[in-house]
Amino acid sequence: MQEASTTKRLSAEERRASIIEAAKHLFARSGFHGVSIDEIVREVGVSPAILYRHFKSKDELYEAVLHEFSCTRESYVETVVADDIGFEQVLRGMTRVFVNSIVNQPDLLKMEMHSHLEGNIASQEFFLNRWKSFTDYIEYNLTELINHGKIKAMNVEAAALIYQGMIREVLLLKCLNSTERLTDMTIDEIVDEIINLFLRIIIPA
Amino acid sequence: MSFDAELDAKGLNCPLPILRAKKAIGELTSGQVLKIVATDPGSVKDFEAFCKQTGNELLSSAEAGGAFEFMIKKS
Repeated sequence: MQEASTTKRLSAEERRASIIEAAKHLFARSGFHGVSIDEIVREVGVSPAILYRHFKSKDELYEAVLHEFSCTRESYVETVVADDIGFEQVLRGMTRVFVNSIVNQPDLLKMEMHSHLEGNIASQEFFLNRWKSFTDYIEYNLTELINHGKIKAMNVEAAALIYQGMIREVLLLKCLNSTERLTDMTIDEIVDEIINLFLRIIIPA
Repeated sequence: MSFDAELDAKGLNCPLPILRAKKAIGELTSGQVLKIVATDPGSVKDFEAFCKQTGNELLSSAEAGGAFEFMIKKS
């Protein structure tokens, strides 16, 4: 009885947020297709009618979850306005911000994995777009370095893909797996080491 | 609104528009205006934060036809 009155006191905005929060965990666990509206309303403790008052469909709810992630999207501005920054410093700063944002919300990584398996074009685009910050940055800067004769010509798209693959693998290892690999290093230390190796290959001394 | 230099950052994701804007503003003199066109929806917040942190003035920020236009006056 007391619970029911607490439930009622939630404002429309709070109710909406609580539905998004519950849906986020369920979508992360089972993907878009693996979750039914019934499960979501059971988890939130409301009737389907209340859910439909906020979201017309499961698609709209899924979109709202993605939108929330994009609102908390990493801002790289602070990293890049510092004085005298080079390719390496910005890459390190961006990577640290990005990696920590995923460590703090592993649901995002799980939803990304599901979206690839389910072949949902719209959500795939959302997730690929997040990686595009890195690949754009790397491609643009390596092209400049090549044009200025600072490094040898190379396929910059392949170089960017290598980087994306390495960082993604670290995230999988540290956020989703419980293996014995590199357990004595923090995620920041692994990322730092990987950037060292990447730079040594791409920009030899 | 008149401007002194223009930067096309269409199709680029953060932080590239910011980095290129920083470089372009570096080539202007105090009081000159840089116009930036970007397509990344996150650039609206990014340029607000950029101006706040660098002290340059964001004269305007507008959306037109799927693109975002910013006018920044160098401090």
